[in-house]
Amino acid sequence: MELERIDTKRAYDLIRERITTLELEPGAVINEQALAETLDMSLVPVREALKLLAHENLVVVTPRHGLYVSDVNMPDLEQLSELRLSLEGLSARLAAQRATEDDIAVLEALRQEQTSTPAEDSRRLFDVDRKFHQAIAQAAHNKYLAESLERLFGLSQRLWYLALPRLGFLPSAVEKHLDLVEAIKNKDSDRAEQIMRQHVQEFYDQVRHILVAE
Amino acid sequence: MNDKAQPNLVLGIDTGGTYTDGVLLEYETRRVLAAYKSLTTKRDFAIGIENVIEGIHIEDPSAIRMVSISTTLATNAIAEGGESSVHGRRVALLLIGYDPDLISKFKMAERFATPNYFFFDGGHDLYGREKRPLDLPGILAKVNQIKDRVEAIAVSAYFSPLNPEHEQRAYRAISGVCDLPVVLGHQLSTKLGSVERATTAALNASLLAVLQDFVIAVRRAMERRQIDAPLMVVRGDGTLMSDEFAARSPVETIHSGPAASAIGGRFLSRLDDNLVLDVGGTTTDIALIEDGQVTVSEEGATVGEYKTSVKAANLLSIALGGDSHITWGPEKEAVIGPERVTPLAYLAHEHPRVGRQLKALSMRTWSQATPDWLEYWFLLRKPQRGQLKSQRERDLVEFLRDGPHPLPEILKHLGVLHVGQVGAGELLRQEVIGKSGLTPTDLMHIEGRYEVWDTQASAYAWQAFCQYQFRDPGELRRQVWTRMSEKIVHAVLVFLSGKSLDLAGRERSLAGQDRDAGRWFFYNSLYDAHPHLETSIRLRLPIIGIGAPAGILLLAVAKALHTDLILPEHYEVANAVGAVAGSVMVEEELLIYPKVSRAGLEVLGYYVTVPSAEPTARHERHEFEELSEALAYARRLGRERALGAALRSGADNPEVTVEELTDGLDTYRIRAKAIGNPRLTR
Repeated sequence: MELERIDTKRAYDLIRERITTLELEPGAVINEQALAETLDMSLVPVREALKLLAHENLVVVTPRHGLYVSDVNMPDLEQLSELRLSLEGLSARLAAQRATEDDIAVLEALRQEQTSTPAEDSRRLFDVDRKFHQAIAQAAHNKYLAESLERLFGLSQRLWYLALPRLGFLPSAVEKHLDLVEAIKNKDSDRAEQIMRQHVQEFYDQVRHILVAE
Repeated sequence: MNDKAQPNLVLGIDTGGTYTDGVLLEYETRRVLAAYKSLTTKRDFAIGIENVIEGIHIEDPSAIRMVSISTTLATNAIAEGGESSVHGRRVALLLIGYDPDLISKFKMAERFATPNYFFFDGGHDLYGREKRPLDLPGILAKVNQIKDRVEAIAVSAYFSPLNPEHEQRAYRAISGVCDLPVVLGHQLSTKLGSVERATTAALNASLLAVLQDFVIAVRRAMERRQIDAPLMVVRGDGTLMSDEFAARSPVETIHSGPAASAIGGRFLSRLDDNLVLDVGGTTTDIALIEDGQVTVSEEGATVGEYKTSVKAANLLSIALGGDSHITWGPEKEAVIGPERVTPLAYLAHEHPRVGRQLKALSMRTWSQATPDWLEYWFLLRKPQRGQLKSQRERDLVEFLRDGPHPLPEILKHLGVLHVGQVGAGELLRQEVIGKSGLTPTDLMHIEGRYEVWDTQASAYAWQAFCQYQFRDPGELRRQVWTRMSEKIVHAVLVFLSGKSLDLAGRERSLAGQDRDAGRWFFYNSLYDAHPHLETSIRLRLPIIGIGAPAGILLLAVAKALHTDLILPEHYEVANAVGAVAGSVMVEEELLIYPKVSRAGLEVLGYYVTVPSAEPTARHERHEFEELSEALAYARRLGRERALGAALRSGADNPEVTVEELTDGLDTYRIRAKAIGNPRLTR
């Protein structure tokens, strides 16, 4: 996203990070003034950033009760997973049809980084996984698709952080990525879509399992 | 729109080496309504600026239509970085299609401004044709390896201004694997010098975060004072750019301080041709104004030891100012500078004990009042946790906690014999401790020309200083002023003639013992020593003096150069006036070069390359059969782009001029320049 003002961009990045990592808990009330002070920023960019985040459904604005961090719940998880599943599948399918040599170089580089990252570094692995999904969306060469997926990913991220204490990074994901890169290289769009759907499905299954058990 | 009855107020701020100056100006009438001075905080320039914004008298903040700042931030970060890196952030420089053997053979790597540079296959040739395929996997593997150790990445490909394809492909791929900011060479310069472009890209990358923090801090300060107006930043050539633009192209702020001074001098004096001399606390800067414009050095600004491709004011800066340290040299001669210290008058004003000590010192016999007693060290601020690395640093800071101490006491307390053994370099650089000593500012206090601090302390110190060499205080003071103006005349001569002149041995030269004619001519013109030959240096332009010491120092300079000295009203804050007086300028350059057949023998047509503002966008390269068509297209597009960009940057009704230049080899450059006054409405 290209934002006009750099301070808005910084405030947006900082607040989004706090929300997605649950440092600002779901349902928590947001005090603009206090938030601006913690971030050491002025009020205007913080307000602008919160508007953008409200637009992404990470922040809820109510006329009477002010601002709060949007909640996460099971129905959300179901709705998110259903939509992401089909869009990620589409993304992988298009990538297999359209990926350029440069796109594949990026996917390869990410896969290698994933292989060399130790399994206990789950935050990093999650970050690489995210970039991997973004790279596939890039390779699909449809910017609206990439934008939609980015938003859905931002919402899903909080589920992952909720489940994190009892969720290891899925060991099968590394293999999945390898297979997926192969399928995209071979322009096998059916297989690419199938692997991707399975990969995303597994993620939600596991998160659901953990959250329901709680 | 503006209410006609209400004047347009603008706030100009200049961060110099010693002081941060602010002025509140009525834009149309050029009337200075208020001025404010605060000490520059080098560790964080924003603090000094916040002080100015908070301290300056503003009756109605809502009437302010623009805030503009000139900053030495970039210049400082580069100059203080030391030998092999920039004091900004750590940067990796990826060079595509550069020849490593050539770079090492001509020792060009030292000029890259970062020790982390890497070579990759790729790049284009003189006709924009792919020289070698781009090694993207190699680049990505390297990025993976280094991304945790650097804070930004710069990419420069061979002949990228002609064909930026490889830089753009690298950008897209790198952005896919890491979140670091990536700077591309072709977006900063259309010049073909590949080493300068790489240096510029690396410097820009290292300064990105520094300037972003700066802009955010200034905006925060503005908001606290309820100033809601556009923020502009002065470029190295004195024109203005929006803060957003500055945050993306921090290298363009190189030399912005001196450029602002020159603009301010012209603005206040309303003279279109002159030489501007800005005497600050740390340096004296010289710039030339011709036809109302600051002259610009086309080949690119040099900062510290780095040659860049950034266009900036043509200027000369010498380490001589009101706060230059006056010491005894080896030849028993008073030496002024290059080090900058806090004047004793100020230190004694802040710490009365220093005044009493100096009085006692002036009454001691000369052998007990050595000049090192005139150097004081003091605590500027509390060190942060973990900042004190050695026991000696801790002892020093502890000792200075109760106030400033003269150097011999410090050495004695620490049990060392020589100042070099104290190891305080790092603490001085980080502005945890400061140095104070005799300065021209103290002499100005003694002479009653500038009396804001403790005049008595300055007088006692000067007495002790003169006694040490049995010199008459009045005569020695005059000599200090003479030496200073001599240095400035010399700098003017070097600056305007473009020649160098080594100044060693004045007395020998005047006595006829030196055979060098240039030196003799210089000294004879200043001191009129020869019985029969009269020589003189005459400056055809008037001198405009800027900065508080200018009134005293420059009269002698103007006399020696047989010209007039003009001190416009408010000359002591003209630098800050200059920060708001510049025009908003945007320049767009398009390159036109031939499309040649593979064998390179036949011209098949002409390309026009259009640099993209967004690195993610695919670059545009349009093809034409005829040169005239290509040029006409480039002119039209250049005009459009410059106009659009100037409006976005806050120019009011910009005027566009289009110029055609040729690089030889059938390559052309269309330069469209849009210039306008800053738009003052909100």
